[in-house]
Amino acid sequence: MTSVRKMTALTRAGITESLQFRLGTAVTLFANLIYLALVYYLWKAIYASSGTDVVNGMTFYDTMIYLILATAIFNFLEMFIVWDMSRAIQSGEIIMHLLKPMRYRKYIFWSYSGSLVMSFVQTFIPTFLVVAIITRGAIPMGWNLLSFAVSLLLALVVNYNIEMLVAPICLYTESTWGINIVKETIVLLLSGATIPLAFFPEGLRRVVDYLPFRAVYDIPLRVLLKKGGTDTWQGLLPALGLQLVWCIVLSILGNLFWNRAVKRITVNGG
Amino acid sequence: MSEAVVMKNVSKQFKVLNRHEGLKGSIQDLFSRDYKIVQAVNDVSLTVMKGEIIGYLGPNGAGKSTTIKMMTGVLEPTEGEILVNGLVPYKDRTANSENIGVVFGQRSQLWWNLPLIESFKLLRDIYLVEEKDYQDMLELYRSLVDIEPILHKPVRQMSLGQRTLSDILAAFLHNPGIVFLDEPTIGLDVSMKARIRELILGLNEVKKTTVILTTHDMGDVDALCRRIVIIDEGKKIYDNDIDHLKNYFGSYRTLRMRLSDDSWVEKVIDESKTDVMHVIAETQKTSRIKDIRLEEISTEEVIRKIYEGGQGA
Amino acid sequence: MEKSLRQKRGFLFYVSIYKKILLQDLKSKMSFRADFIISTFGMVLTNLSGFVTFMILFHNFPSINGWDYHHMLFLYGFSLIALTPVQCFFDNNWNLRFMVRSGDFIKYCFRPINVFFYFISEVFDVKGLGQFAFGLATFIYAWAHIGIPVTAVTIAEAVLFLITASLFMIALMNFAAATCFWIINSGYVMVIMFRFKDFAKYPASIFNGVFRFIFTFLIPIAFVAYYPSLVFVTPDNVPLLSWLSPLIGALFFWLSYKFWMLGVRKYDFTGS
Repeated sequence: MTSVRKMTALTRAGITESLQFRLGTAVTLFANLIYLALVYYLWKAIYASSGTDVVNGMTFYDTMIYLILATAIFNFLEMFIVWDMSRAIQSGEIIMHLLKPMRYRKYIFWSYSGSLVMSFVQTFIPTFLVVAIITRGAIPMGWNLLSFAVSLLLALVVNYNIEMLVAPICLYTESTWGINIVKETIVLLLSGATIPLAFFPEGLRRVVDYLPFRAVYDIPLRVLLKKGGTDTWQGLLPALGLQLVWCIVLSILGNLFWNRAVKRITVNGG
Repeated sequence: MSEAVVMKNVSKQFKVLNRHEGLKGSIQDLFSRDYKIVQAVNDVSLTVMKGEIIGYLGPNGAGKSTTIKMMTGVLEPTEGEILVNGLVPYKDRTANSENIGVVFGQRSQLWWNLPLIESFKLLRDIYLVEEKDYQDMLELYRSLVDIEPILHKPVRQMSLGQRTLSDILAAFLHNPGIVFLDEPTIGLDVSMKARIRELILGLNEVKKTTVILTTHDMGDVDALCRRIVIIDEGKKIYDNDIDHLKNYFGSYRTLRMRLSDDSWVEKVIDESKTDVMHVIAETQKTSRIKDIRLEEISTEEVIRKIYEGGQGA
Repeated sequence: MEKSLRQKRGFLFYVSIYKKILLQDLKSKMSFRADFIISTFGMVLTNLSGFVTFMILFHNFPSINGWDYHHMLFLYGFSLIALTPVQCFFDNNWNLRFMVRSGDFIKYCFRPINVFFYFISEVFDVKGLGQFAFGLATFIYAWAHIGIPVTAVTIAEAVLFLITASLFMIALMNFAAATCFWIINSGYVMVIMFRFKDFAKYPASIFNGVFRFIFTFLIPIAFVAYYPSLVFVTPDNVPLLSWLSPLIGALFFWLSYKFWMLGVRKYDFTGS
């Protein structure tokens, strides 16, 4: 009970903090809208040039929804854990965190939860509604929304675990920028956030299927668009199951790595 | 002697958004235009002569840093006039910075990854210092403090003390008329403090540099300043010689008495009002006194009395 | 006396100071080899990822809006080169918001040199050179395949248009970074602006009226590659905007610089 209260306290603090970013919110919304327009026109032109309506099982609207919501999920899920941890390490603040009763990994998750809730409400939901209205019913509205919510939550945990698996590298090198860009590039490309996985050539797609990244963007979006048989239990459960498996595997790996990496602090004394 | 700094009725106000408490409050803040005016500096006039070292004191948030930022040309005063070396700092920031040096304690201004000597060379080029003057200055530094161990070390690898030392040396390098030192000894150990004070004193003596020093360390004040200015809540509440300060409080003594239970009792006594012997006699009525010490009041206590009592002089 | 000193700090003065800082910076960077390797790897990877995206796109769609593979490649290479200077020379803009927030920014205001120059000169990003090499190779390959003549004039044009095109992205990032003087989470503004650059490599003709106006005049990413490339891609039919792009670039950069400096002057420096 007390730990739940402790966690919700962090969530509340996070919400308060992100609300104080007044003007910033407006700017972000505006910039996102422009970004959406960019994606829209680019793909409209691409489809217009191709001469057919359906490419690799994706209609223009499917692709639009997929990419725009991928961007929205990107904004929603974006955590700066690598940067935060690197700064905490370089300033020595990390020691203070290690002294806190809540475990550091948990602490980070819950202190991000507030801003996650806020960005979900402030950017994801508006984007989702705008897309749903503009594409005039191209987003199926049914049970898939519920499965999508579940899948999105799992995606959040997978993404957090990827971040937490990468961030402790900061204990070994000061190259925060490098680590972050490598992580981001790999995740964005191989998860389908840049270009839908449906468009990937066969060989590349087979590789991507065995990597955790598609659990962050591709799976939730497929579930939402009822692609790849996810509109039936036989298709949905393995998809969600795969996400769950990645949550567990990455979390275990992250824990092992963190425990190993953190010994460096205690050995070196910061 | 002529004036290095002249401030006439200077005020500085900041507009700060009124933030509300808690979750509901920050939703209000999202839409509110509720600003409050903070008066950081309030009608301060001040003249500093060339070659002086003045201590610019005050409790946290009194407006010391704001004053310094105005004198260095970073902030524009809301009201009043400032002249530094005959220039209006905010209007002519570049020209003004030619003739000033600034050190903000704990905040290095040097190139983080460069060895100190390379930072010096860059500063030499930036300030267009003649090679001969530059070499003379390095020579002077060598005579005042042992710079060899830090000269080839990157700033990022230095201890806080070494960094502060480096920053002070860098601030004097182009032989400016005025150097502003904002809490230069904060967080340093006793011996480093002593070295830094000696260095400042030495540079002031040789180069006749005006030094404006803010500090919370009365050791700095005792070692360096002949004159102190105190501000509180943006207002100047004291401006005079440190000797005058001590004279003013000269009739104060600290009486320390060891009582029968071996505890020490401390009393600050104004001799012009109360007789020391009288206090001793009074105390003896309740307890036996085993030992007595009578001390001059320290600068620290004087300053504390001024902070607490508002208008001291 | 002040006058004469200021005259001494002319263009050559700044060039020589920049050279010295750069040299020292490179020397010190050599001592962080691991950092250098990881960052370079990251940079190569982002470029590779961009290229893979490009190839996947053309795997599915043979042409976009009348632009075939080699023309698109030309645009792509052009954008990569034009985006190099912002990466190499203006990378410190990314640190601006942290320095302003912590109060450390104030140190740039105490020297008798231009604040913007002083701040920007502090960081030179070596890894941008990898992107330059990547872009140059693509550019030359596409140039040869399209069959653009190699003459002194076309080469001079290429250099001029590449340099001025790069000013647009630099200016955009200046604007984005300087917002931190007014708003708190300006990090998002920078991230979003930086993401816009991904669209520099597509022909702006795909946008309709309103958005073409926005991407031409408000967030001018169409100038990073599209307009200047038309000089080479469709030499018989070059719109006026393409020829004007060097001028507009210079103006836009100057405006962004003024905006940045306005931020410095307006900021309270209360962060201490």
